[in-house]
Amino acid sequence: MKRYQFNEITTMQYIFLISGTQVGIGILSLPTQLADLANTDGWISIIIGWIISIIASTIIIKTMEKHEQDTIFDLSRRYFGRIFGAFIHIAFVAYASLASTTVIFTAIHIIQVWVLPNTPNYLIMMLFMLPGFLITRNGARVLGRYAEFVFYLTLWMPVLIAVPLQKGTILHMLPMLKEGWAPIIQSVKTTVLSFLGFELAFVFYPFLKEKKHAVKAMVIANSISAFTFLLITITCFIFFSPDEIPSLIWPTLSLLKTIEFSFIERFEVIFLSFYLFVMSTTGIPYIFTTVFGISQLIGKKDHTIILLVVVCIFIFTSFLYTPPFSHIQMMGSWWERYGLWGAYFFPIGLFIYTSIARWFQGGKKK
Amino acid sequence: MMNGIQQTVTHSLDMNEQTLRDYFTKTPDLIYCHLFIGEPKRRALLIYFNTLVDKNSINNNIIDPLLFETRQIHTIADIQLPIGSKSYTTKWEHVIQRVFQGETALFLDGDDHVLLLDTQGWPQRAIAEPQIESSLKGSHQGFIETCEKNIALIRRYLPHQQLKIEETTVGRRGHTPISILYLEDVAHPEVVQELKDRIEQIDVDTIINTGELMQHIEDNPFSPFPQFLLTERPDAAVSNLLQGRIVIVVDRSPSVMIGPMTFITFFQTVDDYSTRWMIASFLRLLRLLAFFMAIFLPSTYIAALSFHYEIIPLNLLLTVGESRERVPLPPLLEAILMELAIEMLREAGLRLPAPIGQTVGIVGGVVIGQAAVEAGIVSNIMVVIVSLTAIASFIIPNPDMSESIRLLRFPMMVAASLFGLVGMVIGFMLIIGHLISLESLGTPAGSPFAPARLRDWKDTLLRFPLWMMRTRPLSARPTQLRRQKKFRK
Repeated sequence: MKRYQFNEITTMQYIFLISGTQVGIGILSLPTQLADLANTDGWISIIIGWIISIIASTIIIKTMEKHEQDTIFDLSRRYFGRIFGAFIHIAFVAYASLASTTVIFTAIHIIQVWVLPNTPNYLIMMLFMLPGFLITRNGARVLGRYAEFVFYLTLWMPVLIAVPLQKGTILHMLPMLKEGWAPIIQSVKTTVLSFLGFELAFVFYPFLKEKKHAVKAMVIANSISAFTFLLITITCFIFFSPDEIPSLIWPTLSLLKTIEFSFIERFEVIFLSFYLFVMSTTGIPYIFTTVFGISQLIGKKDHTIILLVVVCIFIFTSFLYTPPFSHIQMMGSWWERYGLWGAYFFPIGLFIYTSIARWFQGGKKK
Repeated sequence: MMNGIQQTVTHSLDMNEQTLRDYFTKTPDLIYCHLFIGEPKRRALLIYFNTLVDKNSINNNIIDPLLFETRQIHTIADIQLPIGSKSYTTKWEHVIQRVFQGETALFLDGDDHVLLLDTQGWPQRAIAEPQIESSLKGSHQGFIETCEKNIALIRRYLPHQQLKIEETTVGRRGHTPISILYLEDVAHPEVVQELKDRIEQIDVDTIINTGELMQHIEDNPFSPFPQFLLTERPDAAVSNLLQGRIVIVVDRSPSVMIGPMTFITFFQTVDDYSTRWMIASFLRLLRLLAFFMAIFLPSTYIAALSFHYEIIPLNLLLTVGESRERVPLPPLLEAILMELAIEMLREAGLRLPAPIGQTVGIVGGVVIGQAAVEAGIVSNIMVVIVSLTAIASFIIPNPDMSESIRLLRFPMMVAASLFGLVGMVIGFMLIIGHLISLESLGTPAGSPFAPARLRDWKDTLLRFPLWMMRTRPLSARPTQLRRQKKFRK
C-alpha cells in the first residue's frame, strides 16, 4: 500500500529538494566562519564535511528503507511506543520549527540590511508568507517541483559568483595546511552544519517514487551543495586577502559588490532579491516539516488549517518582536547545536536501535 | 420532452399532426406539407423548419420524387429518396430534436415510423483565414461555425482510422452538439474519460461559445492562466492531436478547445514547425523574453525609481531624472495611468469598426503619447516602457495567455511600488508556485520544467530540428510515445 501515492516526487525533484534545503543562508557567512577557524585551508574541511554528511544521509536512508512508507513521525511511534515516540515526534517538529524560524528571520534581516532598510519587518514577513503558504499548502509534490524549478532558475548565480575569480590572487591559498590539521578538523564542525538539510530525508523519503535511487540521490544532493560551498569559499579566499575575510559579516555578498556592469550597478541588490528564491527552498521545506509534523501529531490529514495557524503565528510574532542581529546569531547557533544532534547523532542511534529491534523481533514482519 | 402527450408516434396521420400542432405553437417557420404519394395514393405529411433547411434539397430530392412516385407504398420503408443520410424513429423526442436541427420528418398515414431526412442548411460563413491567429506559412483555412465543416478540416489532415470522434450535447435548451476528437492509440484513456465526465456534468441552458465550455470544465477557475487552448486553426488542432491531446469541437463556435495544455504550449505556434529550427528557436526565445518584459518591465521601472535608484548607472539615472523633472506623479501612479490608457486604447480599437479604429490609434499614439509628455504628466521613459510592454504582450501568440499576462503586470506594479525588487521576486515566486501546482485535466501545467523531463525540452525554449524530436511530449500523457524513427543522422 502506498500512502503518498498522489504526492510522489521524482528522484530529480528529491535531489533538488534536499540540496535546495542545504544551500541557503549558511552559505552567505560560511567563508568568514571557515577563515576564522582554519584560515584559507577551510576548503579542506568542506570536503571532509561533505564525506561525513554523505555517510550520515546514507544512514538515514538505510534506516528509512526498513519501512518505506513511514516518515520519521510514523517510525518513532512504531519503534518507541506512544509516549516516547510522541516525544521524538515533538522534538523533530520543534527542530524544524526552530530551523524555519531561523531561516525566515535571517532572510528578513538580510533583506532589511541590504535591500529594504526602511520597511518594517512585519511587512516583509507578510510578504514572505504569501509564497510560503501557497507552496507549502500543496504538499510534497509541489514542493519538489518548486525546488526543481528554482534550481534551473538559479543556475546563473554560481557562474556569476565565479566572475571575481579572475581578479583574485591564487597565492592566497598557499601554503596549504599552513597551520596543520588541527584547525581544519576543528572547522569541520562548522562545515558539517552547513550541510544541514539532508535530515529532511526523514520526512521526504516516503514521498520518493523510486526508492532504489535514494542513496544515489542523497550523494548527488550533497555533492551539489558541496560544490556550491567550495566554489563560493574558494572564490572568497582567492579574492579577499586572508586578513580581510574575518572582518566581513556576509563575505559572499561583499564579493558580489565588486561585480560591475556598464548597464547596471550595485549588482548585489538584484542578486540578493533573486537569492530569496534560494532562501525559500531552505525555509519552505522546514515549514512544511513543521506543519506536516503537527498535523500528524493531532491526526489531521489536511495540513492547510495548521499551516494557516503557523503563518499567522509567524506574522503575529514579527509584529511584536524584531530580532536584533545577536538574537539571529543565537538562533542560528541553537539550530546548529540541535542540528548536530538531530542530523548526525540521532540517525546513527536510530539506525542501531532499529537494527537491534528488528533483530530481536526475528523474522516477524510488521 | 413532450409534456402531457404520448411518447411515441401513432398510426393515424391526423392524430400525429394534431400532436405536432399542439406542441409547436407560434412557430410560423414550421412547414406542414401534405402530399399524396404512390399508386394508389396515400396521405403523407412532411414537416420541417423553413429557416433551418436547404429548400433546394427539399424540393428536388424529397418533394419531386415523392410526387412522381408510381409504385405502391405499403410502409414508410418503401419510400426511396435520393438522400444519403436518413433514419427512422417512432419517438416524438427524436422527431422534435432532429427537426430542430434542420432535418425533415416524413409521416405516412397508417405507419407509426417517421422518416428523418438530412436536409440541413443554414446561413454559414465561407471558410476564411483566421483573423486572430494569422500565420505566415501555415494553412489559410480557419474553423467556421459549423461543426461538420470543422471536423472535415481536421480529417483532411488526419485520414487515419485511429482518429476517433465522440459526440455529445451540452445544455438543456441549446443542445449544443459537441464532438470530442482524439487519436485512440495516442491519447491517454484516463484523460479522455476525465474530459468526458466533466462535460457530462455541465448543466446549463446552452453554450454559446467554446470559451464558455472552457470555463465550465477547467481545473482551477481561480487561476489567471488559461488551462485550455482555444484556436481557430485546423493545423494547430491537428498538431496537438498528434501530441496526444484532445480536441473539442463545439458547434456554432469558430474556435475549438484543446487540452490538456501545459504552460509552455501557449508560446508555441504552428509556424514554429514550418520555419527552420534556428529561426524558430530564436522566435521562441523572443516570446519568452516578451513574457518577462510584459510582466516585469513596468514594475522594474517602478522598483528602480522608488527603491533602488542606486542600481541605475549614473548617466542613465541623470537622463531619467531629467525626463522626470516636471512629472508630479509618483512612479506607480505614472505607470498605472499610462498602462490603463494603453489598455483602454486597445479595448477601444478592438470594438470599433476598422476605419474608426485607426483614428483611435492615431489619437492614442500621438495625442496621449506625445502630448502627455509635453504637458509634463508623464516622463518620456515611461512612454517608452509602456509601448515596449504593449508590444511585448502582442508577441505572445495565444490571445488568452497574452491577456492573463497583461492582467498580471498590475499586481506586480503594486508589489514593486511597495517592496521594490523584493516585491517583484515574491510576485514571481507566487507565479511559479501557482504554475507548478496548476493542472490541466489532471496533468501538470508546469511540465516539462517541473516535473522535469529533459527530453521534452527539445520543444520548449528552443525548437530542436524536427528529426530530433522523436517522441511525443509526456505532458499530455500519451500512451504511444514514439512518433518517428531515427531516419536521419
